[in-house]
Amino acid sequence: MSLNKEAIEAAIKARIVEIAAETGDDASELGVDEIIPATGLIDSTGLLELIAWYEKTYQIPLAQEEINIDNLGTLARMADFVLRKKGLI
Amino acid sequence: MATAIYVPRINNNDDEVKVLAFDVAIGSKVENGQIVGQVETDKAVLDVTAAAAGFVLGFVANPDEVVKVGSVMLWLGENVDEAIPEPQETSLLRSTAKNSEITAKARLLLAQNGLQAELVTPIDGRITVEAVERYLAAQGGAKAEATKATESRATDVLPDVAGNQVSLSREEKGMAATVTWHRDFAVAGYIEIEYELGPWVEYAKQFQDKNGLLMPPLLPLMAWRLIQIAQEKTHLNATIVGNKRYEYSPVNLGFTIQAGEALYLAVVRNAQTQDELGFVNALGDVLRRAAGHNLKESEASGATIGFSSMERWKVTRHIPILSPHTSLMIAHAAGQGGKGVLGASYDHRVLNGGQVVAMLKKLAVPNKN
Repeated sequence: MSLNKEAIEAAIKARIVEIAAETGDDASELGVDEIIPATGLIDSTGLLELIAWYEKTYQIPLAQEEINIDNLGTLARMADFVLRKKGLI
Repeated sequence: MATAIYVPRINNNDDEVKVLAFDVAIGSKVENGQIVGQVETDKAVLDVTAAAAGFVLGFVANPDEVVKVGSVMLWLGENVDEAIPEPQETSLLRSTAKNSEITAKARLLLAQNGLQAELVTPIDGRITVEAVERYLAAQGGAKAEATKATESRATDVLPDVAGNQVSLSREEKGMAATVTWHRDFAVAGYIEIEYELGPWVEYAKQFQDKNGLLMPPLLPLMAWRLIQIAQEKTHLNATIVGNKRYEYSPVNLGFTIQAGEALYLAVVRNAQTQDELGFVNALGDVLRRAAGHNLKESEASGATIGFSSMERWKVTRHIPILSPHTSLMIAHAAGQGGKGVLGASYDHRVLNGGQVVAMLKKLAVPNKN
């Protein structure tokens, strides 16, 4: 698994595209700086799926207070958060 | 010689457990070590395995029945026609019943009802199922009917069409247990009302922005409102046991979540002790663990009231099954044209329609105080 920002963003986006497809939505155009919940592409259950996958994939158990817009609101922020948690930035 | 399979102990604190289901049918062959059924407490579910190979002669316990640890759960025999031994406590009475032949099915029925053979008047010199049922009917028809119904389920036969039997997952067994409780105990009704989406959507958006939440908090906030209402109207957070309403002290909010193929009822216990943000975070926490299939036992059981939404599937109406020992499950559905639909499945033994409508009308409006 590559731990550079672009690779992390791409992996997260691919997962979002899969989750959105479960409810018939197309998230392939999602931009790295778009606020994910605001796009309406995935709902709250989809976000829960995404966060559960994110924790497991990057091995970063999250405290509830860390699950906020500032840390995880966009693809770019989610990638940065992984790198910060891993001490890579 | 018949071999008993006994009810196992799950933990040291529980001398009784509930029989959840049997995975084998009467007459089927069982291998040593094969899973034959499950028992549960409110903390855990445990598979029961056969300690020997044999044929299933009959079940002493029934699904959903609470039984003592160490009692006989089912009997295995070396062949399908072997007789089921009488319960030990009736052994002293064998001499008085010895002149009457007792059929295997009648023995089973006697054991299921904790009866001694001498109580039953034989028919043509034989104690048959009919003779036992006559006795039961004389003692109380409902019990006889209930026994018949249980027996017919326990002896369900395979369809006469080719197919494979697939073991249920733990989650599927839990779902089956839930719908079985609903079928066997609740007298379910359903009511829905239409409401204005705007106030709730606006309130949730403000709450999300104010607290910097990633997850849209609309449904958790509605669940929180339900908890408040249930504290005011304690009959909403209740069930029926015997002929009395059992009002729960804590409000344990169960919230349905579909995680892949599994359906969970994730539970926030003592939800009434939290403030609004604390509850939203607590619910987010258990739902996230459910999404990752990592719920603790205490987070997957013990609900006293429920909330379910099928908005994600754009479903505009659904009638949820009641969770065991609850009387209310909110049914949230997708809105259209600025209007939403709030429904509720309820146990009519506990609640009447007027009470449910009054609750739904309160729930339809956020409490901004």
